[in-house]
Amino acid sequence: MTNAQQFEAFLRNYQNMVFSTAMRLLANQTEAEDVTQEVFLKAYQYFDRICASPTAAGWLKTVATNLSLNHLTRYRSRWSFFSELSLSGRDESRELEFPANENVEEEMDKAERCALVERALQALPAPQRVPLVLFHFEELSYDEIAEKLGVSLGKVKTDIFRGREALRRKLRLKLGSGEP
Amino acid sequence: MNADYEKQLEAGISRELKRLPELAAPDSLVTRIMSVLDRRSRSPWYQRSWQTWPPALRWTSFAVLLALFAGFCVAGSEMAHSRTSQLAMRRMEEHLSGLATIGNTLEALAGSGVLVLKKFGASFLISCSVALALGCSLCLAAGTIYLRLAFAKHEKAL
Repeated sequence: MTNAQQFEAFLRNYQNMVFSTAMRLLANQTEAEDVTQEVFLKAYQYFDRICASPTAAGWLKTVATNLSLNHLTRYRSRWSFFSELSLSGRDESRELEFPANENVEEEMDKAERCALVERALQALPAPQRVPLVLFHFEELSYDEIAEKLGVSLGKVKTDIFRGREALRRKLRLKLGSGEP
Repeated sequence: MNADYEKQLEAGISRELKRLPELAAPDSLVTRIMSVLDRRSRSPWYQRSWQTWPPALRWTSFAVLLALFAGFCVAGSEMAHSRTSQLAMRRMEEHLSGLATIGNTLEALAGSGVLVLKKFGASFLISCSVALALGCSLCLAAGTIYLRLAFAKHEKAL
């Protein structure tokens, strides 16, 4: 197996993971593809070291996250400004359309439900989506997110709470002692 | 914010998000990346970034740059003490003395301007500005009237 073939196999193995990370952070297919390409071009430079490493997946995820955040940095001043201004009630204007059935959750099969959650997540404004993705998918703490995004801890907590609330409304999650 | 509600919300959203499978990357992505790598590998070493140069060339270029830097440092310190450089410095000083005269003149002018301002005060400055603005407006108005008249005559002649 040549080096190129090895790398292609490596690429096929991890492309979905890297693409998902970028896509969930950026919510834009073209930009996510560009970031994925950049991640694998970087990986190729260090391929001798990472090909057999058990931490390859973690390395790829970290690079994908950092490159996606770098990409967002260009717009960060704008989006953090709007985030400060936005009121929690305003998110309702961007809510997805649902059939007018209260038991929609039960009727939907798993694939449809996943697609719906994915769409709802990507429809969130960046200031809510990014910290939410970093918390739930990358499993970073509030402090780490605040440090990574260069914003205050309070803002991270507020944005994550608003993001969760928006998702709950969009997905019509029922919270309580039982199943949502 | 209610802490219990927040915990429930976190757990509920976490459950929903953890269920999500990985998104499928577009089929064209592998071909796209491999073609970029192929194009890069075909380009000659000097067109690629320094990190991707062959190791021997990297070490050689590093050594050459280091030697050049050391050479410049040695040459610089030698020149600073040589007679030629001292002569050159003196000539430079002579040339720059002209600039110093200009600087002194400007400084004197600025000083006199400040003295005038102090003497006449802010009201004088305001009246000067008003007079200047009036003069400009008059010039503009006169120019416009003249142009109108000139073109009117030209049109009549046609």
